[in-house]
Amino acid sequence: MSIRRFLIIAPTVITLVLLASYFWVPTYEEQTRGNPGRLEQFITTSIGDATLLNPILSANSASSQIEGLVFEGLIDRDEDLQYRGRVARDWRIYEHAYFYVNDGAQTASWGVLPGPELLLKLKSALKADPLVGPHLVAMDLLPAETILSDHIDKTDSQARTFAIQANAPERIRITLDHVDQLFFDRLAVFLGKDYFEQFDAAARLVCDPELPPRQLSILAREILPVTVHNPVIDFFLRPDVRFHDGRQLTAEDVKFTYEAIINPENLSPRTPDFEPVKQVEIIDPLTVRIIYKRLYSPAIGTWAMGILPKHLLDSEALSQEADRHGQDPAHFGLRQSDFNRHPVGCGPFVFQEWKSDQYIRLKQNPAYWEGPPNYHEYVMRIIPDTLTQEMEFYAGTVDDYNVQPHQVSRLSKDERFQHFSGASFGYAYIGYNMRRPPFDDVRVRRALGMAIDTQKIIDFVLYGQGERITGPFAKQTDYYNRDIPPLPYDPKGAEALLNAAGWHRGSDGYLQKNGKRFAFTLITNNGNQLRKAILAIAQDAWKKIGIQVETDLLEWSVFIQKRVNELDFDALILGWSMGINPDLFQIWHSSQTGKFQLNFVGYADPLSDDLILKIRREYDPVRQVQYCHLLHQRIAAAQPYTFLYVGRWTALLDKRIVRRVTDNAGHTAILPIVPTKTGGYTFHFNQWIKLSGPPNMAADG
Amino acid sequence: MLSYLGRSTLQKLVTLFFVSVISFLIIHLAPGEPSQIDPLNPKFTPEIVERMRKEFHLDKPLYSQYLLFYRDLFTGRIVSWKDNQPVLGKIWERFLNSLPLFIVGTLLTWTFSFPVGIRSAIGRDGVYDKSTTFLAYLLISIPGFFFAYIMIILVVTHLHVPVIGMETFGVTSASPLVHFMDRTWHLVLPSILGATGGVAVLSRYVRSQMLEIIGQDYVRTARAKGLSVETVYYKHALRNALLPFVTMFGLILPGLIGGSVIIESIFSWPGMGRMAYEAILARDYPIILTVNFLTAVLVLLGTLVSDLLYMVVDPRIKL
Repeated sequence: MSIRRFLIIAPTVITLVLLASYFWVPTYEEQTRGNPGRLEQFITTSIGDATLLNPILSANSASSQIEGLVFEGLIDRDEDLQYRGRVARDWRIYEHAYFYVNDGAQTASWGVLPGPELLLKLKSALKADPLVGPHLVAMDLLPAETILSDHIDKTDSQARTFAIQANAPERIRITLDHVDQLFFDRLAVFLGKDYFEQFDAAARLVCDPELPPRQLSILAREILPVTVHNPVIDFFLRPDVRFHDGRQLTAEDVKFTYEAIINPENLSPRTPDFEPVKQVEIIDPLTVRIIYKRLYSPAIGTWAMGILPKHLLDSEALSQEADRHGQDPAHFGLRQSDFNRHPVGCGPFVFQEWKSDQYIRLKQNPAYWEGPPNYHEYVMRIIPDTLTQEMEFYAGTVDDYNVQPHQVSRLSKDERFQHFSGASFGYAYIGYNMRRPPFDDVRVRRALGMAIDTQKIIDFVLYGQGERITGPFAKQTDYYNRDIPPLPYDPKGAEALLNAAGWHRGSDGYLQKNGKRFAFTLITNNGNQLRKAILAIAQDAWKKIGIQVETDLLEWSVFIQKRVNELDFDALILGWSMGINPDLFQIWHSSQTGKFQLNFVGYADPLSDDLILKIRREYDPVRQVQYCHLLHQRIAAAQPYTFLYVGRWTALLDKRIVRRVTDNAGHTAILPIVPTKTGGYTFHFNQWIKLSGPPNMAADG
Repeated sequence: MLSYLGRSTLQKLVTLFFVSVISFLIIHLAPGEPSQIDPLNPKFTPEIVERMRKEFHLDKPLYSQYLLFYRDLFTGRIVSWKDNQPVLGKIWERFLNSLPLFIVGTLLTWTFSFPVGIRSAIGRDGVYDKSTTFLAYLLISIPGFFFAYIMIILVVTHLHVPVIGMETFGVTSASPLVHFMDRTWHLVLPSILGATGGVAVLSRYVRSQMLEIIGQDYVRTARAKGLSVETVYYKHALRNALLPFVTMFGLILPGLIGGSVIIESIFSWPGMGRMAYEAILARDYPIILTVNFLTAVLVLLGTLVSDLLYMVVDPRIKL
């Protein structure tokens, strides 16, 4: 009897206890409307948790989102994607150009000249030159010197050390007030085309033991480069920027941040951005000078990187922290520091609390130099499931929601929300292995692209949430050449092109050339539904024009390691996500076509190579855009990829969230949130606030 | 008894060693590299990739990687590649989060299965038996995530209370009782979802065990000598039917560290399952291997416990 009673009572009691808890839970109503503090709180969601909250160590999106609020860089980009000062109030970009005086060489204008006289002649000539003259700041003659260094040669199995003595001749330094990548071409007008080429650097090197001549001449060009551009950026910092612990941000911190990135022990994923830096000089506590080894225009953008506080992270602070944790200071670096979970920056929000896989909480920084943000609190909740995110958004405990493509048409009509949408930074494409016939023929690649109805893919696979793209630049930037028409959908034209390329339909209905059928394999990675759909669509479209296509879905790492990295594929579907920066070197330069490199389609075009380098070296935005348009045109004509689409994102926001701006006179205005040119809507985030009722914009002017 | 314990421990240590070797090999042979090493990031130069591989000891031969890993594991120095946090600390934190879910889920499973199963067995082929059988198969075959979504949508739209996470987000100034009850409420849905499958399977199992026992001669004898139905079923038959479940009790031990990926993801529960799953996706070897190792330890411990329990409850068994 008692056992039976127990068997019935036990589950009943448990159920009752569990269900009774319902009466204690605050309802959504109490959380959102009954709580005035909620209006000063912005709550957003993220699929994944942050990793390390240190801008130089992490590169994932959740971490970056928090870092962007806690830390601040020297500069960032404004609504029109132009640079604007943040921690730096202003900056100046100029260059030092150097060249070695080539004793005994003929100059085009003045015959053979020794250094001092050459300097004088050149100075007056350059001053009169309409292109160089206005920008010429100074010219000096640097004395000859002897450079001693060690060269370690690792070409053989054992490393050998060579002692090198380089006898550098006199050198002329020209300071310009801007950066001119064509400067030495302009000098060649006076000095002659061969003046620089005839400079024999190898003859000025003394090696012990001797190096073979070929290696010697390579080394000589490294140690004694005849011409050098050293672009310089002077940043002038704001005097009123303080870290969250009250310490003023100075040039020391900027220099420290650079050194932390470069330090190999920190394994910073941002090292390549800062590799071209030659040195960072502190001019005074509020001025820092960055000197670059060579022309590298993306360099300016890299200073949007959050600045770290030196006093909390230098070697002294770290070894003290290691002592506190009872760890060996020798193995205690930036990566081990507690700072990565309790970051201190100088941004508009102060870090408060991080509960792994639950939430990260930030609060307003009242001492922010631009004035404190309107929101008192910023919370990022980690909700890994999109449907759960959506439910929380409807309930009002989350303020924004990133809409899935299939929901856009329904939710963008919803009266309760304001919605924003824009093109993503990235595109999907079909890439052809141009090393393999028949993909080495541009007509074939073009025909393959024309056979696919990309608009249909956008309409049906993406539910209309995509735009066509014709080239490799981010579509919302000026670098993208809008004059280039997308490939038309034209299967007839495609067949005609293939016929011209020598492919004709055989009796079996398939295209043939020299008795061989047009057949290849199209691959992509498993787990991406969009790519899987495109795979089937492309296969079908190409079958219609007589091409036999096999398809294969591979697990991501097999796909990358065995097929892409080893260049073992015919055609593949993939996507690039990218930044604003127009530097395309890794993906399109012909030097990057080897195994394990990113130009895996094997696109090699001398003209494009030249443009890619020019873009990289050009500091003038207008000219950079011109080069980009040319490169875009060039790549679109060659069709190494069939450029498919760039996706569109849509985000919903509670309608009560607006911008509240207070001007100097103390007048408060309520403004609507408007997306910027690039589609971003969070640009004015610091001005956002949630009203208790629906906003009435018209009444507020 | 002692010699059995000694022998069994030794055997289990050998098994553990092989498990550690094999799991290590499987994870390292699986394609892919830690997500920190991203070959498709244009910003990564080969030198950086090389330096990262070196930092993670991936450039060393497998046996020395194995030794390094287990040295770090046993000295407690092992850190996650994702965020440089000590692995054991992370697992402990997640374990504490998953523990209430595990306890409530197990309680629900075991307290519900027995009454349901026994009742079905006693009233065999009756309406109750038929309908619980139907329900059990329904619950087994319904996909967990789908059931979870339906429950969330129903609760959120009709009861207007939050169900996501371990506690209601943003409630800080409440009394301890409210706090406790709030946490209990957040356990309800995920543990019910976790228990449904268990109840369905276990109650079927109880039913068949009971049926088998009820058919035994001694039950018939007990009935024949005039004992009440209650006494026969709940005292004599049930005790004997319980024997196989004692062994099962030892085997739920590994569930302590398993966690459920799907339920934890849907309910944003910061538990073990989610951490392990994310670690696998990011190829965070230290986490994967440690969780794997601990699971192996618990499985072996569980079999040992169930052997011992069996001996305690069944005097016929001598070890």
